[in-house]
Amino acid sequence: MKKNRTLIFLFMAPTVICLLLMYVYPVIRTVIMSFFHVESLTGSTKDWSFNGLANYFKIMHNAGFITSMKNFLAIWIVGGVFTLALSLLIAVILTSGIRFQGFFRAAIYLPNIVSAVALATMWVQYIFNFDYGLLNQLVTALGFEKVRWLSTDAKLWAMIAAFIYGSIGYYMLIYISGIEGIPTDLYEAATIDGASKSKQFFRITLPLLKGIIKTTITFWTINAATFYLWSKLFSPVQTEGSTIVPVVYLYDTVFGGKGVVERDAGAGAAVGVVLTLIIIAVYIVTEKLLKSSDLEY
Amino acid sequence: MKKLLSIVLVAVMVLALGCTAFADGTEIIYWSMWNEGEPQAEVIAAAAEAYEAETGVHVNIEWKGRDLNTLITAALEAKEDIDLFEDDFTRLGQVNGPYTYDLTEMAEAAGYEGYPVFNNFSIKWAGFLNSIPEQPNVGGVFYDKDAFEAAGIEAVPTTWEEFLDVCAKLKDAGIDPLAQDGAYCNFTFYYQLVRHLGEEGIAELRENGGWAESEGAVAAAQEIIDLVNAGYLAEGAPDEYPASQNKIGLGLAAMVVCADYVTAEVNANTGTEVNWGLFNYPTVEGGVSAASYMGANSLAIPAYSEHAQEAFDFALFLTTGEWGQKLADDCHQIPADPSNECTSLPGAVETLLAADAPMTWCAELNTHPAWQTMKDMFVELFEGKYADGAEFCAAMDALYE
Repeated sequence: MKKNRTLIFLFMAPTVICLLLMYVYPVIRTVIMSFFHVESLTGSTKDWSFNGLANYFKIMHNAGFITSMKNFLAIWIVGGVFTLALSLLIAVILTSGIRFQGFFRAAIYLPNIVSAVALATMWVQYIFNFDYGLLNQLVTALGFEKVRWLSTDAKLWAMIAAFIYGSIGYYMLIYISGIEGIPTDLYEAATIDGASKSKQFFRITLPLLKGIIKTTITFWTINAATFYLWSKLFSPVQTEGSTIVPVVYLYDTVFGGKGVVERDAGAGAAVGVVLTLIIIAVYIVTEKLLKSSDLEY
Repeated sequence: MKKLLSIVLVAVMVLALGCTAFADGTEIIYWSMWNEGEPQAEVIAAAAEAYEAETGVHVNIEWKGRDLNTLITAALEAKEDIDLFEDDFTRLGQVNGPYTYDLTEMAEAAGYEGYPVFNNFSIKWAGFLNSIPEQPNVGGVFYDKDAFEAAGIEAVPTTWEEFLDVCAKLKDAGIDPLAQDGAYCNFTFYYQLVRHLGEEGIAELRENGGWAESEGAVAAAQEIIDLVNAGYLAEGAPDEYPASQNKIGLGLAAMVVCADYVTAEVNANTGTEVNWGLFNYPTVEGGVSAASYMGANSLAIPAYSEHAQEAFDFALFLTTGEWGQKLADDCHQIPADPSNECTSLPGAVETLLAADAPMTWCAELNTHPAWQTMKDMFVELFEGKYADGAEFCAAMDALYE
């Protein structure tokens, strides 16, 4: 059949135009903006003045941005290790044929259905509350003194713990779908050959989940880099150093904050570009380190 | 079936005609920082209905919530269809001034006076009167009068020594003296710094450092450390907002350093009606300033609005006279019209009228590149992490290296 090129272009045009306008254009504009001094995000380009790499130097020397990057690293590494390891562990347990697995799946996934605002508020105002919080009730019942879970030293870790609780279910489902895709014959053969459950996990499950693990690491990196809501809810009145993350820093830089009238959309764009580069770098490194399995099943 | 279809079509036509007729009347578009259901929103919506009944001008209110302050500048630059909006009066003057309407002539024609302190700063920042306060705020020490009475305290303190005496009496009476949430530690400490150095002195420190060499800064930090060590903070303080301030409503603490909206917040959060009082943050020996924080959420009109007069008239309708009083009463706030009565906080109107230069919201420090770290250090000061004022100030100086 002869291809009708005009028709193909016509059908593709709406999607391509939307993609160019709503995705490619903002990305290009943000990258260009990061090299200019731009006060207002929506201001005319006539008011832009070329700034070279000054925006990048500005954020790299800003204590707020440095703190936000440290917090991002803590969320990405510590939160990532706990979330991905725990969700994989739970996924393995729930696919091992235990009873009530449907209930456990639903229960562990439940925090993903609840609004993140409600979830974070529950942690901040109830679980971590000094006077009547769940954790301090447990602590005092065990005979210890109450703990200030949201002190400046502990707040970041408290936020990460709460975020892990809210994230595990999502990654668990991804791992479950991956594990369920592995043919059961492999496990049956391994069992007949006398392989223990742990050996089966390390020799069969884990190698065959490489592709899924790569995906979850990329997803987690994107989640950590775009972490915003939890940081805002753990610092309800104004941004705090203990919980600031790059996107919150970006937001405050572009739009100002309580009593802060200075705005710098150029520096904000530079933060956005840096975050994007981090995500791309992590993706490339993950691709290199975790080469996709050449096993066919 | 055909009949039903005909009826539906006729109904649609009638509705369309109605809409066209409505569109012929004047409509002003009002972007509000409140959320539907909040007391302020309810009063505003009722005022808009009353205004329409009186003038025929329809007020189309879009409830944007608190994020309006981050949307509004971009919306004004893009010349969005807005005739009236709310924002913090500082930002209205310093950021959005060029996009706002000069209200001077309309204000003069209407005989509007308002609070000189807000008018003067609006003119200073924007170059002309560009906003009208809707919700004025005043800062200071807010206290439970009943708790003071129970502790046998007859007069409010004016100096730091008197304040410490009051704290001691409250503690003896079994009431935690000062509620302190982490979110407001910077505000309380800023007050203490202003007392010793004034805002100009703080600006100098912000610019060049030298905290450890500043006697005032060391003394201010030491006084806070002594306050903490004396056990005058509420249990668990500095707590997560609003847990500590709520303790006043629960009868567990007596005072909090904040702005007047704290009274409505505590009442709403705890379901009580605290017998609130207010006194100015105490002065210190050898201090240089007794200034108090003042601010406002104000109304402004975009410079390009085609219904500026109608928008201005509605702004006055809402903030003065009968509706201004209702706004103050229902929302437990200071009246935007000084000729109205402040039922929630007696004396607040007089304080605002007498003010000539407000203390800003940490404005001399919050533009410092290390502001986020500084804020955490202010919380740590209240957490008792520094042995003395000198150690704290040395840590502050380290941020400049």
